[in-house]
Amino acid sequence: MFTQQLINGLMLGASYALVAIGYTLIFGVLRLLHFAHGEVFMFGAFIGLHIALAWSGANIYITIMGAMIGAGIVGFIVALVAVRPVSSKYPLAPLISTIGATLVMQNLAISIFGGAQVAFPETMDPTIYHIAGLTISSVQIFTLVMSVALMIVLWLYIDRSKMGRAIRAVAESHETAALLGVNVGRTLLFTFVIASALAGAAGVLDGLKNSAISPFMGLEVAVAGLVCMLLGGLGNIIGAMVAGFILGMVEILSAAYLGTSLRDLFTFVILILILIYRPTGLFGTRVVGD
Amino acid sequence: MIFDAYIQSLLVFTGINIIAAFSFYVPFKTGQVSLGQAGFMGVGAYAAGIITVKFGLPYPLGLLFAGLVSGVVGVCVGFPALRIRGIYLLLLTLGFAQIVQVVALTWDYTGAHDGFQGIPYQEYTIFYVYGTIVILLLFFSRLERSSLGRAMLSIHEDEEAAEVMGIDVVRTKLFAFGVGALIAGIAGAMFAHYTTYVDSRTFNILLGVEILMFAVVGGVTTYWGPILGAAFLTLLPEGLRGIRDLMELIPVSATDAIPYGNPIYDWMYEFLDFENEKRLIAYGLILIAMMILRPQGLLTRRTVRRLKFWKRDLASARS
Repeated sequence: MFTQQLINGLMLGASYALVAIGYTLIFGVLRLLHFAHGEVFMFGAFIGLHIALAWSGANIYITIMGAMIGAGIVGFIVALVAVRPVSSKYPLAPLISTIGATLVMQNLAISIFGGAQVAFPETMDPTIYHIAGLTISSVQIFTLVMSVALMIVLWLYIDRSKMGRAIRAVAESHETAALLGVNVGRTLLFTFVIASALAGAAGVLDGLKNSAISPFMGLEVAVAGLVCMLLGGLGNIIGAMVAGFILGMVEILSAAYLGTSLRDLFTFVILILILIYRPTGLFGTRVVGD
Repeated sequence: MIFDAYIQSLLVFTGINIIAAFSFYVPFKTGQVSLGQAGFMGVGAYAAGIITVKFGLPYPLGLLFAGLVSGVVGVCVGFPALRIRGIYLLLLTLGFAQIVQVVALTWDYTGAHDGFQGIPYQEYTIFYVYGTIVILLLFFSRLERSSLGRAMLSIHEDEEAAEVMGIDVVRTKLFAFGVGALIAGIAGAMFAHYTTYVDSRTFNILLGVEILMFAVVGGVTTYWGPILGAAFLTLLPEGLRGIRDLMELIPVSATDAIPYGNPIYDWMYEFLDFENEKRLIAYGLILIAMMILRPQGLLTRRTVRRLKFWKRDLASARS
């Protein structure tokens, strides 16, 4: 029973982790709380849904790729319209403009896709495995493997590639990075695209797992992603990954043993305790100052 | 009543939003950014509801009790909040608001899942609301000139420097947070006694975000900012609805006179159909545009000074 819940927690944590990485990437380079990130996640899920519906032969990989590209474009537009033109001299202004973007995106989604929950098509056959008393479906395994694979690819990209190095440099300091010949504006936009693509993939995986999506799915994941970003330490990518899995497991376990309504209470009590006693997160922050 | 019911409810909600925006403004004066004012509104709404429903006591007592409870809770939340700032404080207050929601959802005494029902309707809410706003305005104008107000401002500018200057930073910040919570609690109590029903979802995260928006869009360097921001953003969606009514006033002969007048008119009429989603999309776009054009908020200290023409005349006459 306990192990079963632990596995369910891992599944939930996988989508949290993907969203949290996006948050932490954007926070790392811009010190910005990207409020609309949950909506990018939602758009990713819907783009995936429509790709799967449009080509009946589309397999899950095409769906995820399409959703990542689509969500990447959405994130690019958000960055271009709601983040780039807003002066960062007033720290609350970009926050408000991304809230505005959240409103626009959610209501755009309602008017395009309808306000109701829609079933996510089965793009792969669910096989149920019984291993040592545990019940695991192939969908669950796929979600988990896919998210971990995406995280590893991202980590390698940030760690090894030229653009990854540019992102890390910009996260240290915009001025120094610019002096060293990094195109800061382009790097920022690119960070948004990467973060949004990950959120898009997370959206599809979430739809696959819950087999239903709605235009209102963004907020909950957005809040969970924020908590994970903080748990893992601001700007710390590996921290955000681990924190995503931890939060997923905490939520599932507290829901299983304490009841669903107390689940959120537990999550936020942990959040507040960490804020008070370990404000740099469980794994230390990569961001200097506040 | 002198207004019809629709106008009156619009005015009441605008007023409650103005008070809520003020509740954000006070802690912000010491540099504390809170996303949890909706949580304090919830505390106030439930506290006042308990007084009027469970004990059958009169409405003004309920308001006082709401302010008191929520102010005490505010000081309790303010203590841990002293140590942190920026995004951490934002998340701490968000977490607090979330906890209030869970408590409201699970507390059987106030109806848990079914919400707090049967709260007595207060007919004269509008007078209470605008009376409170006037009192708060007087309070703020006095505060601005007092040593406490200056202490708050200096903490906002530079906490370490303020401390060196001998300002009791801890006490001032706690006071600001507590007063903010108190004001939010009263706003919540008024809200509950106007809608007669609240539940755990009434005071959600989005409301907290909205309150922050009211204050920031209006401008947070002066107490006129939250008023303008809350009024503007509350009335904007309704105003968008009214554009079509204004268009209908244009006589047909006028559009006949302009070449292609009629198709343009029809297209505009169709396009300006601001119902539901379209209205909120427009609202979001206007928010983005405002932050691009005026990131410091609609009103700043300087614009207010420039607008006070009677004072400027006096000053120039004196010199």
